[in-house]
Amino acid sequence: MNGENKQLTISNPFLPEPARIVRTYYLTEDVKFFQVRVVDMDKALSFKYCPGQFAMISVVGAGEAPFSISSTPSRPGLLEFCIRKVGGVTNALFRMKENDLIGIRGPYGNGFPVERMRDKDILIVVGGLGTAPLRSVLLYCLDNRDQFRRVSLLHGAKRPSEMIFREEFFALKEREDLECHLAVDGDDTGTWTENIGVVTTLFPKLKEIDPSSTYALVCGPPVMYKFVIKEFVKLNIPKDQILMTLERRMKCGVGKCGHCAIDYIYTCLDGPVFTYWDVIHMRELI
Amino acid sequence: MEKVLAKKSFPQWVKTLSSYKIFAPIEKEDLWSYELIEKPEQINLDYLNTVLSPKKIIFPQREVYLEFFASNEEGIEVKELLPDEKPSVIFGVRPCDAKALTLTDKVFGGDFEDLYYWNRRKQTALVGLSCSTPPSPNCFCLTVDGSPFSKDGLDVLMTDLGDKYFVETLTKKGEQLVNSAKTLFKAPTEKDKKNLAKIQQDAKKKITRQVENIKKVPPQLKEMFDSPLWDEESMSCIQCGICTYLCPTCHCFDINDEIDSSSPLKGKRIRTWDNCQFPDFTMHSSGHNPRPDKASRLRQRIMHKFQYFVELYKNYQCTGCGRCISQCPVGIDIIEVLDKVSDYGA
Repeated sequence: MNGENKQLTISNPFLPEPARIVRTYYLTEDVKFFQVRVVDMDKALSFKYCPGQFAMISVVGAGEAPFSISSTPSRPGLLEFCIRKVGGVTNALFRMKENDLIGIRGPYGNGFPVERMRDKDILIVVGGLGTAPLRSVLLYCLDNRDQFRRVSLLHGAKRPSEMIFREEFFALKEREDLECHLAVDGDDTGTWTENIGVVTTLFPKLKEIDPSSTYALVCGPPVMYKFVIKEFVKLNIPKDQILMTLERRMKCGVGKCGHCAIDYIYTCLDGPVFTYWDVIHMRELI
Repeated sequence: MEKVLAKKSFPQWVKTLSSYKIFAPIEKEDLWSYELIEKPEQINLDYLNTVLSPKKIIFPQREVYLEFFASNEEGIEVKELLPDEKPSVIFGVRPCDAKALTLTDKVFGGDFEDLYYWNRRKQTALVGLSCSTPPSPNCFCLTVDGSPFSKDGLDVLMTDLGDKYFVETLTKKGEQLVNSAKTLFKAPTEKDKKNLAKIQQDAKKKITRQVENIKKVPPQLKEMFDSPLWDEESMSCIQCGICTYLCPTCHCFDINDEIDSSSPLKGKRIRTWDNCQFPDFTMHSSGHNPRPDKASRLRQRIMHKFQYFVELYKNYQCTGCGRCISQCPVGIDIIEVLDKVSDYGA
């Protein structure tokens, strides 16, 4: 647990706090963007989180599920999520409109070690919905640009139509203080102007990096981790500077319900951010 | 504090505890279960092992913990339902089951205190009954640092001396219980003490089941993640989950909403015991499952109890009650599995 982060509900960790959907729109056919604000203004501003942490979102009557926070703590007050429609809770969320009320509790998990990442090069590799947690750390680095050295992003999606935050990332591509490479596995539109291929094919395009002072971050579908980590290792990035955020089924978020237990740790308390070093020492992580 | 209580005075003692909710084992259709007692005469302490441990009173199988309903001003109101805090006493707690609660305490404590668990736990006194005779043929408490006379987690420990109970009070809570009927309790004679020692000695001999080399299990498990043993041992498993549902130390739960009325919206959020032996337990909503087969789930059950928990808390997450062995419909026997683990590769 990150010491600086205050929980919304201190006495009873299972009590969701009312929050209002401020904006929601489709990012792709089955992924929606949600911007929410905790109704109680004091609590909204005291919701202090770290990039890489997650929150439990409730739709009363449908249930509760964990979601990565996609916004950055450098822009306090509003929380953003990108959510794929896959189950009961997300189906109910997709039916909700702006101004509707949801419940939220958190933030939970360890998040990225942003303090240790200061004054280092940051390499972010994202696949598909893995953008959700890594957008938080990317925007955090860009908002505090002078605190980090080179920032690079390799972004992969299946098809152009499945790329989330498409306009945002194309706009970021124009920034001079960010090295950004975008790819899709296949282009069914014939309009894609960037790279075609899986995200690992973007590695040769990276400018030479200084491995010992690079933090390499990855998030994507389960199958992606092994391949991307192999590339990081080829680049000689130290094992404890290779960071990944992992998905697990979770119910409580506070280390009780047992669903996300791996080895002797709980993903919700000790994760969801792990190093490659953790992966080597704890089986079942990826 | 050591006392003796005549068996015929036991109901009188219970009567003096009228400000408490009283739970004790009751026989229903050949099955023993801890239930709320209305009259002290209902209590029969000559019971065998209960189907469920008293964990079910502290951490109920199904618990409504929030209520929600549509309201005019804020749209939806969510109400927290914390357990009522009337003090309770559970009589006839087996030492293994009391010890199990000291293990679930570790999980429900920590940085995020679980109020639902602790509100009951703090208000509940545990009066144990030691096992002069093993209550199950599959008892193996001695293997996992327990004993038929273990005091871990108990407030009072009673031992059957024939026509009376030897009563040891172990905590402040326990003293309060005994003090509520001071005159019923007598000082033990030398003979009573000798009797107790003899019964304790004999009781240990009556426990026939054990894991030969339990000390070797945690370090062996560390090397056995990829072992074919898990496939072999889980082959017959039908994934009914009874092993974990009956386990006094298992604490996993699920959270779901139930709707009573959709318009106007009214419903509740409940938590129910869940089970790591089910495929759903770890399945992501995308369909990906990091623990995809029976072998990996049996491995998780054994590793959690005999390696991960040991690493975290220096205790086995097992108290040797034997329920998972007695009730497994296909005869998977955790003692046999652990014996194979300790011998593995030898």
